Amino acid sequence: MLRVSNLKAAYGKIEALHGVSFQVEQGEIVTLIGANGAGKSTTLKALMRLTPPESPVVTAGDIKFNGVSILGMEAHRVVSDLRMTLVPEGRHIFGNLTVVENLQLAAWTRKNEKLDKEIHYIFDMFPRLAERARQRSDTLSGGEQQMLAVGRALMTKCSVLLLDEPSMGLAPLIMYDMFRTLKRLNADGLTIIVVEQNARLALQVADRGYVLDTGEIIAEGPAEDLLRKPEIKAAYLGG
Amino acid sequence: MQRYAINIFFLVAAVTLVGLAQAGMLDKYVLTVITFMGINCIFAVSLNLVNGYMGEFSCGHGGFMCVGAYAGSLLSVAFFTNSKLFGAALFAPELAPFLFPLVLIGAGLAAALFGLIVALPSFHTRDDYLAIITIAANYIIISIVENIDAIGGPRGFSGMKKVVGLMTDVANVPWMLIWTIIGLFACVMIIYRLMTSTYGKGISAVCQNEVAAEIMGINTNRVKIMAFMVSSGLAGLSGALYAHVYGYVNAQAFNILKSTEGLVMVYLGGMGSISGVLLAAVAFTLLIEVLRFVIPWLNDVLHATGLLAVNYELGQVWKWVIIPLVLILLMQFRPEGFLGNRELTHVFPRLRRWITFR
Repeated sequence: MLRVSNLKAAYGKIEALHGVSFQVEQGEIVTLIGANGAGKSTTLKALMRLTPPESPVVTAGDIKFNGVSILGMEAHRVVSDLRMTLVPEGRHIFGNLTVVENLQLAAWTRKNEKLDKEIHYIFDMFPRLAERARQRSDTLSGGEQQMLAVGRALMTKCSVLLLDEPSMGLAPLIMYDMFRTLKRLNADGLTIIVVEQNARLALQVADRGYVLDTGEIIAEGPAEDLLRKPEIKAAYLGG
Repeated sequence: MQRYAINIFFLVAAVTLVGLAQAGMLDKYVLTVITFMGINCIFAVSLNLVNGYMGEFSCGHGGFMCVGAYAGSLLSVAFFTNSKLFGAALFAPELAPFLFPLVLIGAGLAAALFGLIVALPSFHTRDDYLAIITIAANYIIISIVENIDAIGGPRGFSGMKKVVGLMTDVANVPWMLIWTIIGLFACVMIIYRLMTSTYGKGISAVCQNEVAAEIMGINTNRVKIMAFMVSSGLAGLSGALYAHVYGYVNAQAFNILKSTEGLVMVYLGGMGSISGVLLAAVAFTLLIEVLRFVIPWLNDVLHATGLLAVNYELGQVWKWVIIPLVLILLMQFRPEGFLGNRELTHVFPRLRRWITFR
């Protein structure tokens, strides 16, 4: 469904991706793992077609969605037409709005009255958010904010969800919860691409994985295989 | 009935005001101050759309007022009077009161067009850069106007008094007060309806977090440019009213000082609050007028008590010391302004059952 071929991307003159190729099929969970600065977030931002200053410019290669190049597309069209959206690193929730308002704003083109069912689905997924429904979202804990960020992304009715470091800053238990929820969303038909520092956790959940190192893919394969590979174990899974 | 109380109240207030002016109960000075209050309200509320609701920092709003003032003046002179510049009047002078809205709309459209020209390149940048670009735009607009000799250049442009006179010939009512009230009402309605629409949600999202807005599927560029155009268009409307109330325009009246006045009103009232900014615009206009009397009084007092050197007179320029001082004190003690980003109805919830805007 999503096919990235020989993608090169740069921030100004500094090239961050030196020809990355991978693909994602419908209904899969695919993970990109790698150290800091490997180009994981850069890849997601390029996929979302976000623009500078905080995002890179694609200099070569192609991104095809169902066979059609999306390089000429703007981010909001990626969301509205391709039904693909991002849970950004650092969450980017609307801090001075309540939890419900955040969710409503994500469905900004639809009328609020009709959203109750959808919001109910999100609250079913993340019961903690239901307790905090009328609370200002910047008063939530880090884990709850991450749940809200995922919930808000789901409110765009996406069929492909990109997640940038969903485990960042979360306590281990909450982290496992988050990944269990991702698995459940995947079972409901959502295609997921997740970028993660916690490689072991990500590979346990994912169907397939790619290992990025300084802007290049150095290993790929089914997640169980990667978990067993000695060199990957040594470099990313802590021996 | 109760729900329309606020609309009825404003209608009654407006009719009373016009009635008083018509009956000659308001002297000319008071009438002018009230009219300028309305114009300042339009100017401040329009700036609030960009600086308050959208969270961008535009510093050159005076420039768009300038475009509106000149466009409105040129249109009305061309429409209704015989002038050297445009030749014979396009329309019969009796039509002036009926076609005057066209002048105001034309002025708004011209300013909105300039807004678009400024917005297109500048919204690729963010934050401070927009402030710098809008200041530059303010200067550019004034320089352009001052260098077109056909419209008076640095001498300014006049002839609008004649048009107001034509309207008065048709019906002897305080026309400019009426147009200002209508303009203010239209301006508040446009911004209120915009902010409660789907687009308004988009504007709030852009204000909060642009990246997040974009990945919610909001075309942030279009939302920003549209809001900027509406804002500059309404500033243009206020400019056209200003030009006709004075009967004379000069580009220097819309320089950076005018833009700063707009900023003061917005920050005084609270960013993102229509009622707050309206209150601030009224208070600010009053403050300027009050200072007109207070400064000479202060001058006398200081001279009498010997606190001021005999050969120094405290002049009206001190206004521009006192007003920035007010702003500094405000930022120090109430940085969110009168109402913050809340409306009067949030501060006093009991008002709510009296109010629906429709």
